[in-house]
Amino acid sequence: MSAATTAPLLLDVRDLHVRYGRVEALSGVSLQVPAGGIVTVIGPNGAGKSTLLNALMGLLPVASGEIRWAGAAPPHAVEDRVAAGLCLVPEKRELFASMTVRDNLLLGAYARVRAGERRALDRIDTVFERFPRLRERAGQLAGTLSGGERQMLAIGRALMGNPRLLMLDEPSLGLAPLIVRDIFRIIRGLRDAGVAILLIEQNARAALQVADHAIVIETGNVVLQGPASELARDPAVTASYLGGG
Amino acid sequence: MSAAAWQRALPWIALAALAALPWVGAPPYWVTLANYIGIYAIVALGLVLLTGHAGLTSFGQSAFVGIGAYTTAYLATAAGLGPLATLAASVALTTASALVLGVITVRLSGHYLPLCTIAWCLSLFYAFGNIDALGKFDGLTGIPAFELGGWRLEQGRELFYLIWGFVALAVLALRKLLDSRPGRVVRALKKGALMEESCGIDTARYKLLAFVIAAMLAGISGWLYAYLQRAVNPTPFGLGYGIEYLFMAVVGGLGHLWGAIVGAALLTLVKDWLQGVLPALLGQTGNFETIVFGVAMILLLQRAPEGLWGAVARRVGRRPAPPPPAGTAPLPAQPQPPAGQPLLQLRAVRRTFGGLVAVNDISFGVASGEIVALIGPNGAGKSTLFNLVSGVLPLSAGEVHFDGRRVDGWAARRLARLRMGRTFQHVRLVPDMSVLENVMIGAHLRGQRGVLASVFGLNRAEEDSLRLEAARQLRRVGLGEHLDQDAGALALGQQRTLEIARALCLDPVLLLLDEPAAGLRHHEKQALATLLRQLRQEGLSVLLVEHDMDFVMGLAERLVVMDFGTHIAEGPPAEVRRDPKVQAAYLGADE
Repeated sequence: MSAATTAPLLLDVRDLHVRYGRVEALSGVSLQVPAGGIVTVIGPNGAGKSTLLNALMGLLPVASGEIRWAGAAPPHAVEDRVAAGLCLVPEKRELFASMTVRDNLLLGAYARVRAGERRALDRIDTVFERFPRLRERAGQLAGTLSGGERQMLAIGRALMGNPRLLMLDEPSLGLAPLIVRDIFRIIRGLRDAGVAILLIEQNARAALQVADHAIVIETGNVVLQGPASELARDPAVTASYLGGG
Repeated sequence: MSAAAWQRALPWIALAALAALPWVGAPPYWVTLANYIGIYAIVALGLVLLTGHAGLTSFGQSAFVGIGAYTTAYLATAAGLGPLATLAASVALTTASALVLGVITVRLSGHYLPLCTIAWCLSLFYAFGNIDALGKFDGLTGIPAFELGGWRLEQGRELFYLIWGFVALAVLALRKLLDSRPGRVVRALKKGALMEESCGIDTARYKLLAFVIAAMLAGISGWLYAYLQRAVNPTPFGLGYGIEYLFMAVVGGLGHLWGAIVGAALLTLVKDWLQGVLPALLGQTGNFETIVFGVAMILLLQRAPEGLWGAVARRVGRRPAPPPPAGTAPLPAQPQPPAGQPLLQLRAVRRTFGGLVAVNDISFGVASGEIVALIGPNGAGKSTLFNLVSGVLPLSAGEVHFDGRRVDGWAARRLARLRMGRTFQHVRLVPDMSVLENVMIGAHLRGQRGVLASVFGLNRAEEDSLRLEAARQLRRVGLGEHLDQDAGALALGQQRTLEIARALCLDPVLLLLDEPAAGLRHHEKQALATLLRQLRQEGLSVLLVEHDMDFVMGLAERLVVMDFGTHIAEGPPAEVRRDPKVQAAYLGADE
């Protein structure tokens, strides 16, 4: 794990400010994600965690601050960021409910195909290998999937973009305990395959176990950061996010 | 005055400046244009309510204008009635026809209403043009001038004040209405009809209300038109004008009252200007202005899709709701039943979708003052069961008893009257209304004031009480800091807690909570558990679906476990947790 923190920086965010109208949602957030590392963002509801991911994805305008992607400025348009290897699994999943599982996955490669990568659609086989359940349901409409299958499809769709950094917004939201374990197994598997991960997760205990590094955001500011194992022992983090000691 | 206050006062200042127009030597033609703008604006104001807020599209407003104008023309010429009588008759007839048309069509969803209004508009146009008594396509002429108690309004500049007086009245009345108990319901219709039904609200009634009010305004506009023009014929009441009224409201900014006036003014002035300029420019006549006009409007809507006034309003922002004054009477709460009585009973409840059995003969009960948790894998049928209990979905078989009555087959809004409150797994709120207003909808059944009381300002005490109650429940769930924010700007976990506050505003005996703790952090879950325990102490019962076992363990008296639509276990949490069937289906072996 310590090897990951010395790896070259994939994402480097400095002093990021984001506003909704007059309300400042992020007031100067800095964070780094090394290639192949897992960083988790912890914080209460309304702290600005989803705002952070949406701003990094290019879905929200940045008021000020700097984002460096693999040592350079990231492309401006969302689809170009996807093509550059930055993929988001949104909090509400945002699946195309009236399309089949297979078509949902193929759309995940849209930006890649558009950027000229002809073989991008073939990646569906590796996604099916990782999620055999999705292969079984390939012809089924996404709207008829159970909660766990939906989350797998949302992750699988992001993987079709062959991400270098996968941003997961609340992957275990609304999932039964057995499925939550599956999801964390998948996250470890992706890390082993070399994908860096930026993780927002309600289950802070599991998130701190899987992550290398963690930052705590409260009301738009980073209030604490450090190696995940250290933050897991921090009394303030324990009291607010872990409980039970 | 702050910048925002200035921006809010600006439209009234502009209106006052407009009032001086006839007296500062403006050419009569300007006054004529202003008169038409006012007449169109009244119709467009109705569409702000109907289309902008209730989400119902009508292409047929010109037909209602026609009813108003023809009623006035006929009664004034054939029966010699004065303006007060013709106004009453115009409003009565438009209201009656809107009621008949609305009862038939408003319940239909989607494209049916717009299609019906088109058909209505076309048929009325030909009816006007073919009835002998109405002068066929030549129409009626020789309408006597507006004369009321010695006031004779004949010239354009005299009628100007009458017309713009009605515009100002319409703006004031609609503004009062939109900021009231019935108005909030109308504003939430577009995005929250299912949620409103679960708050006990008959949404079809409020759709009809919006339809009738919009038609009444169109009728008044027709009445004014008859006295301005002193003659009527079918042409200005055809479908083309019906589309144009809708266009005015859209260009000005659907959902913004001032936008209706801006849109009416813009369309009228630009069209008039193009009609003058284009033939000179092109050296030939023809309806070129229509083409240029269409292109200009497409460009405008591309640049400002929320309309002209929408773009302005976004910068001004929301005015914070005033805190209820000291001494506001709290809403009375009804007593809770004594603890331990059977409150909710499910008997072999079954629901099938085609061949799939989603809920398979489930039976269990909830006693008053009890917290019961329903757990099970994703797709086990828990949310379907919730929808069966709360009247959102009909049962295929079985019985539901609530509060001593058999209630299966009851609609959601009837169950709300028995004080059953619920939240939704996929949050249902109105994102562009404030947090406070969203929660006030939950207290709808605890107020009585209707449209007339709201328009005349007789609802203040009740509004204060409703606001007090909503703010109290929001503080209780920990959202006291966010009252004036847009509900859509809250984080997802906060939106879920907003739904709990909204359900509490119903003064419920039973709360159905669908994954209330999803997305909450540890300390937020603890706060929620504390609140639910306190509610139990007050005599409420809670049935909740939840996946966080730690949350459920310390809270619920009893767990009911579902898998594949079937009841597989029930009992105290510690016991259920050890059940091998539950571990295999749901929990996994203990680590």
